[in-house]
Amino acid sequence: MQFGLVALDIVSSWVRMVLALGLSILFALAIGILAARNRRAEAVILPLLDIFQSIPILGFFPVVILGIYGAIPNFVGANIAVIVLIFTSMSWNIAFGVYEAVKAIPQDYLDLLDVSKSSSWERIKNLYIPASMSRIAYNTQISWAVGLFFLVASEIIVVGTSTGSLQIPIPYGIGIGATYFPANNDYADYALLIGGIVVAVIVWRYLFLRAFALWSEKYKMMEEPRETHWDPITRFYSWVNHRAISKLFLLTHDVGVSRFSSTIARFRRGLKYAVLIFLVLFGLLLFSSIASSGDLTLSHLPSAAQLVGAEANVLVNLGASFVRVWYVYGICAAIGLPLGIAISLSFKLYDTASPVLEVFSSIPAPILLPAIVLIPVIGHAPEAVAAIVMMLAIIWYIIFNVMAGVRTLPADLKSLPNVYHVGRWAAWRNVYIPGALTGFVTGSITAIGGAWNALIIAEYFTAGTTTTQVGVGIGKLIVIDTATGQNLSLALAILTMTALIVVFNLTVWRRVYHRVTKRYTYNR
Amino acid sequence: MSQSEPKPGRGSPVVRVEHVNLDYHKEKEPLPVLVDISMEAGRDELVAITGPSGCGKSTLLRIIAGLVRPSAGAVKVLDSEVKGPREDVAMVFQNFVLLPWRTALENVVFGLSSKKDLTGEQKRERAMQALDVAGLTGFENVYPGELSGGMKQRVGVARALATEPKVMLMDEPFSSLDDLTAERLRKETHSLLISPETSIQSVILVSHNVEEIIELADKVVILSGRPARVSGVLTVDLPRPRNKKSEEFFRWVDKVYSYLS
Repeated sequence: MQFGLVALDIVSSWVRMVLALGLSILFALAIGILAARNRRAEAVILPLLDIFQSIPILGFFPVVILGIYGAIPNFVGANIAVIVLIFTSMSWNIAFGVYEAVKAIPQDYLDLLDVSKSSSWERIKNLYIPASMSRIAYNTQISWAVGLFFLVASEIIVVGTSTGSLQIPIPYGIGIGATYFPANNDYADYALLIGGIVVAVIVWRYLFLRAFALWSEKYKMMEEPRETHWDPITRFYSWVNHRAISKLFLLTHDVGVSRFSSTIARFRRGLKYAVLIFLVLFGLLLFSSIASSGDLTLSHLPSAAQLVGAEANVLVNLGASFVRVWYVYGICAAIGLPLGIAISLSFKLYDTASPVLEVFSSIPAPILLPAIVLIPVIGHAPEAVAAIVMMLAIIWYIIFNVMAGVRTLPADLKSLPNVYHVGRWAAWRNVYIPGALTGFVTGSITAIGGAWNALIIAEYFTAGTTTTQVGVGIGKLIVIDTATGQNLSLALAILTMTALIVVFNLTVWRRVYHRVTKRYTYNR
Repeated sequence: MSQSEPKPGRGSPVVRVEHVNLDYHKEKEPLPVLVDISMEAGRDELVAITGPSGCGKSTLLRIIAGLVRPSAGAVKVLDSEVKGPREDVAMVFQNFVLLPWRTALENVVFGLSSKKDLTGEQKRERAMQALDVAGLTGFENVYPGELSGGMKQRVGVARALATEPKVMLMDEPFSSLDDLTAERLRKETHSLLISPETSIQSVILVSHNVEEIIELADKVVILSGRPARVSGVLTVDLPRPRNKKSEEFFRWVDKVYSYLS
């Protein structure tokens, strides 16, 4: 057993994670404070954050890897590329937290600083940063879990795209180990690595994340309720996630219409500019990163026929992935909704199931790919492998959000079926399922977003000499295009996927979320 | 005079709470919440339970409802021991506890789910009647979110009435309403509940509002602070309708206060 190597893998990954987290917090402070204190900046930043939070950032890995590694083609560049990928998954959520926290500072405090003629820096140091602390701490918890997924995925992708002439030097990391050990038939060390990750996740959660959250309590404004009871799962999901999603879908009426209604109006006006800026920036980034290599350069523009052909191919792949995302989500919903309700209705079950679920959910799903491939029969069906990885990546969002939803229902409502001798089915149909619905939709939105990210890694995966790949899929297309330098197809794939998801979010999901929260929120 | 079965008259016990104790178990050390509580609610009586906030009034009501099991002692409704929620006991909650995703009518029908002998149509009819009695004619198809607090509580009352309970339990039913609405609803309550037209034989009301208690109650059970013991039982013999401005009324209010302080 290579304890040293496994430890080195874990430590390397954790260093990347910590650096990405530090970067995310700095970015979040800068962006969040700017958006909260400057109306013009707010009008641009909010919709941008909204878009970045809702698109499958992992699909952008070629831009990041080719761009950064292309500029700094060595060990440092490779690590920066991975850290940036993790950063892109962590920062939006924390930035929203800072924005909301600074926005929520009572006017009295701002007046106080006006009276004392504080400089901008003094304001930031003495008020904005402390006021943001507890939100940063809580949002860090969700960002860490998402980041871990991205870390593993991007490490695996870096290895996966290191073919032929492109050999990216990144020797250690849990994603590297997860591909290296199984490729060498070293399943003992692979198992050791997974065990090590579980231990590291749990230790980190309690030594750092929880400590950070508890420490940050002292920065809470007096008006805010203090956390007396530590209930990691429901806290984590109901509070942070629901806030993030509410923001995401402009669903601010429950936060307090008066303060946010003008924000919403500005948000809407800013949105179209934001999308435009975003697309232009993205196009520039894409072009600059790939102009030097592949089949697409400024001097060699594609013909209309090439464009149509490539786009048609992209649409076929995107269609297949769309179906994949939804049927995997359907399975997760069918399991997650009843399971989450059943667990939350029983105190005993809740107390025993929560820690177990917490450990399972903390294992980044891609790390298990080599193990899933080993399962008899299923392991040889790429479609099943992809579905399992995606399920393991997203089902937690549904279970935990449903649990949070049911837990926050008042005790009297939960006892109502008892008081009126309502049968079990009628109770579920009339009370528990409707009561869980808001949490379920919140979880579903996050889960679908997660499923698109998971696709990138689940549809095409190489463990040693065997490559597991689905027939058609946008994730597979993006990975193969990156490795083979098909930049026209790659650019179209990323753009079309992003457009589909943004449009779908702004139309379908937003409407569903509004309708469900309007009718199915239990307000006392 | 023939020795035929005496018709149960006013005051004959409907609900009997016998030496009820309740302990919470926190870190193995039992924490007494209710100590040796005994009380009765008789036929056609409205009994109010009051006491300092947090003393366990609502918990006592939940024990009577069969939602919470006492650590010792027993509750009997019409001479049968309460071992869980019963069909002949209905409850009205402080925060209404309506299903926001169901209309007023559907909420009342939901309360009739256990009545297997009724067809869907019969349940609807009965629910409509209850809504009528509670003063909600015309609001059957409105969702709770579109109703005022007072209207919501009327739905809560209708839901309880529709089950045709023998005992009605009310947990601070007026305290989340504004003063005017509460006043109006209170005025209707006694005549609505204690009338030959309803199936209700006894009403137990938990409240911390002393004036409300003197306005409504035939009997007041006063609990002391933590842990709660019965510190007094008063029979309020003021004639009805009760004049809240009268000197006698104030005397009763003062009397209850003197027990509370």
